[in-house]
Amino acid sequence: MANEINDMQYIIVGVGGQGILFTSRVLGKIAIDKGLPIVGSEVHGMAQRGGSVISHFKVGEFFGPLISEGNADVVMAFDQKEGIRNLSFLKEGGTFLVNTDCAAAFENAHLKKYLSERKIKTCKFEGFRILDEHMAGKYLFLNVLILGAAASLKIQGFEEERVIAALKELAPPKHLDANLKVFGLGLKAALT
Amino acid sequence: MPVKAMLLGNEAVAEAVVASGCQVAAAYPGTPSSEILPAIAATADRLNAPTVVEWGANEKVALEMAIGAAFTGARSCAVMKQVGLNVAADAFMTVALYRLKGGLLLISSDDPGPHSSQNEQDSRMFALFAKAPVLDPSDAVEAASMVKDAYVLSEKYGVITMLRTTTRVAHCRQDIEQVETFEKGNDVMFEKTPERWVSLPATVRVSHPNHNERIEKIRSEFETEWGKYNYEIPAKGKPKLGIIVGGVAFSTLKDLMKRWGRDDISILRIGTPYPLPHKIVNEFLSRQDKVLVLEEPYPVIEMQLMNRSKSSGRWNGVVPSAGELLPEVIENIVLSELGTEAKRPDTADLKLAIEELGLSARKPQLCAGCPHRNSFFSIRKALPNAIGPSDIGCYSLAINQKGIDSSLCMGASVTMASGYYLAHKETGQERPVIATLGDSTFFHMGVPGLISAVYNRHAIVLCVLDNSITAMTGGQSNPGLTGKPRKDDVGTALSIEGVARGCGVTFVETVEAYDTTSGVDAIKRAWEHAKANQTPAVLIFKHPCMLLRVSQEIIPVTVEQDKCVGCRYCIENFGCPGLSFDESAKKVSINTRYCVSCGACVVVCPHKAIVKASKGGN
Repeated sequence: MANEINDMQYIIVGVGGQGILFTSRVLGKIAIDKGLPIVGSEVHGMAQRGGSVISHFKVGEFFGPLISEGNADVVMAFDQKEGIRNLSFLKEGGTFLVNTDCAAAFENAHLKKYLSERKIKTCKFEGFRILDEHMAGKYLFLNVLILGAAASLKIQGFEEERVIAALKELAPPKHLDANLKVFGLGLKAALT
Repeated sequence: MPVKAMLLGNEAVAEAVVASGCQVAAAYPGTPSSEILPAIAATADRLNAPTVVEWGANEKVALEMAIGAAFTGARSCAVMKQVGLNVAADAFMTVALYRLKGGLLLISSDDPGPHSSQNEQDSRMFALFAKAPVLDPSDAVEAASMVKDAYVLSEKYGVITMLRTTTRVAHCRQDIEQVETFEKGNDVMFEKTPERWVSLPATVRVSHPNHNERIEKIRSEFETEWGKYNYEIPAKGKPKLGIIVGGVAFSTLKDLMKRWGRDDISILRIGTPYPLPHKIVNEFLSRQDKVLVLEEPYPVIEMQLMNRSKSSGRWNGVVPSAGELLPEVIENIVLSELGTEAKRPDTADLKLAIEELGLSARKPQLCAGCPHRNSFFSIRKALPNAIGPSDIGCYSLAINQKGIDSSLCMGASVTMASGYYLAHKETGQERPVIATLGDSTFFHMGVPGLISAVYNRHAIVLCVLDNSITAMTGGQSNPGLTGKPRKDDVGTALSIEGVARGCGVTFVETVEAYDTTSGVDAIKRAWEHAKANQTPAVLIFKHPCMLLRVSQEIIPVTVEQDKCVGCRYCIENFGCPGLSFDESAKKVSINTRYCVSCGACVVVCPHKAIVKASKGGN
């Protein structure tokens, strides 16, 4: 079984205050439950105040917390601009999961060329719209929504039942029902 | 069976501090060290350990509390960030010469990059300066292990021992076994031996040479018994390059070596940068043709090398002398020393796309609804010509709304305000000076400057932006509050007004920060008072930090599009993320993604376009 699990490197980006640290906590919980080693790097302090934030997260045989450019298996973007800015971390053929709020940006010719030449699998979801429609615009649920979207894409480390178990353990019990609802929305959120 | 948990480096360090039987732990918060003390308290609470855990008013206070405890025999520790060590330097430089009774650990966290600091200084350099041994971990697991060894070393030699971490160790996440037990602390018994505890020229003439001998013993121990942290990973066959490496660069290098699939590099990992284990280093150097030294942020190991004829590093510009040693940086340096180049994906199209889409990194900014934004708006509106020295904390982000003119280090808002005042006075000019600092910073180092300004009769206004928290570092308590790190421990809250009056300030007023009308009026009156009486005036702008989520009136706002003239006044001078400027329509609107409906922006628009959203009248 162990041979079927590959080393994985995740870049998670967004804007300070969006709750991206929770996503790596879920990733970590799932990896530890599988008995896999983890190492990652988080942003705390000044940049958390509304600035660009980036988490590096590695599962498997790694030593340092940082991911080199061109080596990430997945870039998960809570914010479209931050996602595109950090695409150089993604390896050829990697997965770009992005919360979109401006579809026009993806029509940029250079961006299209980069994504296709690097064979990047781009999976968009309209997080703000979904949360406006279903969660009265509570954007702090974005972190759970993105977990659902990642699970629906079968990204290693985000297995559906394991994410649900992690949510039950890590999120405050009073928010569990809402979290499970948002996770369900996330499962159906990814556009192709 | 110990449970593995995903711990932050700082949490792993904290668990080890409690497990080592630390009896007194003190700190002042500062990124990237801030989470250590709360985690010490949480671990002690979890294990029901008797450890006393306290925030000092500043780092000097925290270190001296720990030193006092160590004089009695208690195992103690002080925690701070690298620039905090400057504040505690007076105590640190001298205590290094003492023969302590209880183990004393100093944890100082560096911030190469920097990510959240006003400089990139290296605490290991300070350890070398003070002649105090320093341990330099490469990851969180090792940091925890070094805490335990630091206490053993400290008690064996009676010497203060530093654990130096960097951002990538402090804020890394790793799977780590949580501690379940803690060692018993030492017996506490203060012995009246003034020749040991009083530092005078006569005692230093004895203690300094003794300390020098002790450091050589420690060096020799590092050379022979510390193979756990000082060891070689040899190349297969003749090495093409030798690398001496310390800190997180070692972990990065190991990842790169694995990816490159190379085994023609010999690595000497040094975990005890001072005193440098010369024998190990010299022996390694003797076997290499060419050596590279990787450490950050300063060349502490490199400067101690007895012979640099074979080594490259910062002295010859091979390693950059500023910034972080990111994987890409290390890859470039090492491969270039080997005469090859790093293979990187072609990102030319991506760069063009980023440029065309105008995607620049988002700067940190004051939160939506942050009371500081209104305080700075009031100050600028009342006295646009005033010089605005500020301080270290969230308010430095008011640079985005041109709210501050300078900032240097903790407490310098007050003292530099005095300097601005004096320079103008000396040349016969009159210009208002309005200094700003937060509640925690006021208690940290604002008070001595205020006392000096009262004594010397400086006409300045000091605005204390009191948001009832130490906000930038993540919401720690301070002497203006009753909260203390350990559960059920309660402190006495000091009144900022009372402290200011006690310092001899004759104009002290408190205003609600959101109330800019009163704020503008109070600033004008404060300045008139300061000018007329040649004395400092203190104004306290009070409103809780938005991160505390104290419930407040919900005031939804809207921008009346027909009234908005697109002048950008609100964007430039208020700059709330809840206000968006549409470049094509040349109009401002409310950005619901960020707006928190605090209503604080209603006063801002000169054309009265920002209004409360009509909901059953207002």
